[in-house]
Amino acid sequence: MVMWWVWLVGLVALAVLLAGAAVVVQSRRRSGTVITVRRGRTGGRAGGAR
Amino acid sequence: MNTLELASGLSGRVVVTLGGEAVAQVKDVVFDGPAGRITGFTLSGRGLLAGPMKRSLPFSGVHAIGPSAVMIAGETVFEDRDAVVGRGEAEHGKVLGAPVLTEHGTGIGTVADVVVETGASGRVVGFEILAEDHLDRRHRKVFVPRGEALAVSGEALVVPAHAQHFVADDLPSFAAQAEAFLTHTRRPGGGRPS
Repeated sequence: MVMWWVWLVGLVALAVLLAGAAVVVQSRRRSGTVITVRRGRTGGRAGGAR
Repeated sequence: MNTLELASGLSGRVVVTLGGEAVAQVKDVVFDGPAGRITGFTLSGRGLLAGPMKRSLPFSGVHAIGPSAVMIAGETVFEDRDAVVGRGEAEHGKVLGAPVLTEHGTGIGTVADVVVETGASGRVVGFEILAEDHLDRRHRKVFVPRGEALAVSGEALVVPAHAQHFVADDLPSFAAQAEAFLTHTRRPGGGRPS
């Protein structure tokens, strides 16, 4: 008789774990860094921002 | 000199059009080593589960970089990702953590961040480095000015030897040190402090 709520708790825990994993994965995909390229002295126009 | 800011602080900054629409957020900051300027930004979406975008923002399309947002005229300024950084360039061009050497071959630390000038120029002014014994026995983070003939790749950063004499402990005082370094370097016969 008590099995139904055990299943429910397990299902909720699994959903929370999956959601947490999705958030962690997406945050890593969105986290940025600083990258250097070598495209010559014309790279990045000085007057770009107004 | 315009306001100085750490490049990593630009990551995550929202990109907003002049019409007030938040269209993306900054992911990577891309700068050209030889030119010493920001060339653009890679972007990611703004939703909770949004990932990297296939479009990027070239610096020529930036209207202004502010403390809260990067302003653009509209989404028409976005270009294909390869226009700002290619996949191979991204893999081999990550500069954070790269060792810092002087032109004499002395290791002085590792790159912790890049100092850029906001406003219209996007100029790279210097680097925040985690200092080694030779530069600072307490292994603090210090700011070193960028040389005119800077060599930088994803593997190592080479700075002029005399740049060590224009080191600052914090960003506000670094602005003055960077100006002094530039003045000293451009002086006839400049290259070592008197």
